[in-house]
Amino acid sequence: MAAEVDQKVVVHVRSTGDAPILKQSKFKISGRDKFLKVIEFLRRQLHQDTLFVYINSAFSPNPDELVIDLYNNFGIDGKLVVNYALSAAWG
Amino acid sequence: MAAAHEEAAAWSEEAARRVWGGAVPLQVHLHDADVTALPPPPPFLTLGPRIGYLPLLIPVIKAHFSNALPPGVDTVWFEYKGLPLKWYVPIGVLFDLLCTDPERPWNLIVHFRGYPSEILSPCEGEDIVKWSYMNSLKEATFIITGNSKSVMNMSQADQVALWESVRKGNLGGYKNISTRLKLAPFEEDGLVRTASTERQHQQSSDEPESPGFGKPCRVPVRLYVRGVQEDLEDIEDAMPVRDWESVSYINRPFEIRKVEGRSYITLGHALQTLLPEFFSSDTQNAEEVDSAAGNSDTTDPSRSSQEAEPASVSLREAEITKKAKVKLVRVQGIELDMDIPFLWVANNLKNPEFYLHICVYVSTRKQ
Repeated sequence: MAAEVDQKVVVHVRSTGDAPILKQSKFKISGRDKFLKVIEFLRRQLHQDTLFVYINSAFSPNPDELVIDLYNNFGIDGKLVVNYALSAAWG
Repeated sequence: MAAAHEEAAAWSEEAARRVWGGAVPLQVHLHDADVTALPPPPPFLTLGPRIGYLPLLIPVIKAHFSNALPPGVDTVWFEYKGLPLKWYVPIGVLFDLLCTDPERPWNLIVHFRGYPSEILSPCEGEDIVKWSYMNSLKEATFIITGNSKSVMNMSQADQVALWESVRKGNLGGYKNISTRLKLAPFEEDGLVRTASTERQHQQSSDEPESPGFGKPCRVPVRLYVRGVQEDLEDIEDAMPVRDWESVSYINRPFEIRKVEGRSYITLGHALQTLLPEFFSSDTQNAEEVDSAAGNSDTTDPSRSSQEAEPASVSLREAEITKKAKVKLVRVQGIELDMDIPFLWVANNLKNPEFYLHICVYVSTRKQ
């Protein structure tokens, strides 16, 4: 609904625990996308149905949250840091 | 001063009691396709706590319909006028957002089969609701303090007790634990202080630790913006929400910037800052006037009220001639006055995960 300019967000993914490390750890995503898209991307890349995905090693956002909101609220040094784990890492 | 402080505290306690006691009367109908009994079971009447979540009602609802259900595995979800309801959104917010004309009881349909997994994230039971709550709490904590440590460092027992208090609507139990997180209140008188007034305040205050001192104070806000027809005469005639894509779910904290002088932040002003896309550039000019007006003590009451509260004036008198116009703002079921201090709203009408949920109805012009 909001007519914003489509800003690209750099997502930096980091594995936690025994989750496999991806070859490409940084990728760009549209700010208008939901966080669900990041989760689905990681699930596909890792061939995992169950994946725990966090921001800044702290919390798991709602899949409906916009990537741009997460970047503006929690981004560090121009990147959104996303951690993934195969089991619950930070509750 | 002390008496005034006590009075404010008493009001806050009363507000919290009302927020926690608030409930939506629900009339839950079993979806036709799930009915295997004749005659079909009568609808189930219950109270849905405003701060609660729909999946927490499943045990009592299931018990009511148990004799009419088909055999097999249940995947329970709720629907209102064709729209599957997001289970992680508090019941009160769903009602304020989707039920324009507050119908009581609120007629919902419960399904025990055919979970719409392309629309709703999976919900296997209470544990996932707890997970969602705790993560929202951590997220809000991150916004307020810059990290989630105070929640992550809670003992397992405290985390369980905190969740139990939310689940059962036990305000006393909740307060015992949540006050230790030191996340509230935001500056209690709703004033933005300059460095010098802040120092004065700190000397006379009993609570120098309250957040907002020495760093920008950020208030976690979740906004749900839905469009209604522009030519709508009565908000109650708004078309029902058909899909979630027509609702903008926006998470933007309100940052209290330190400006010269003491400036009063109204709800209208905060909304204008949070949702600039719904306001024209004229409004930004008005905002500058607001900051400037804060510097001088104007004695003309009509003048000062006009200059100090551009948000409400703009919202009400529709000076904004952009594509969208704010029609209605609801928080905890209340249609709030735009002149009300934003921090009062944030401190007293927030949900137990420290998020302030605001439903905004905007009229959209057809393209």
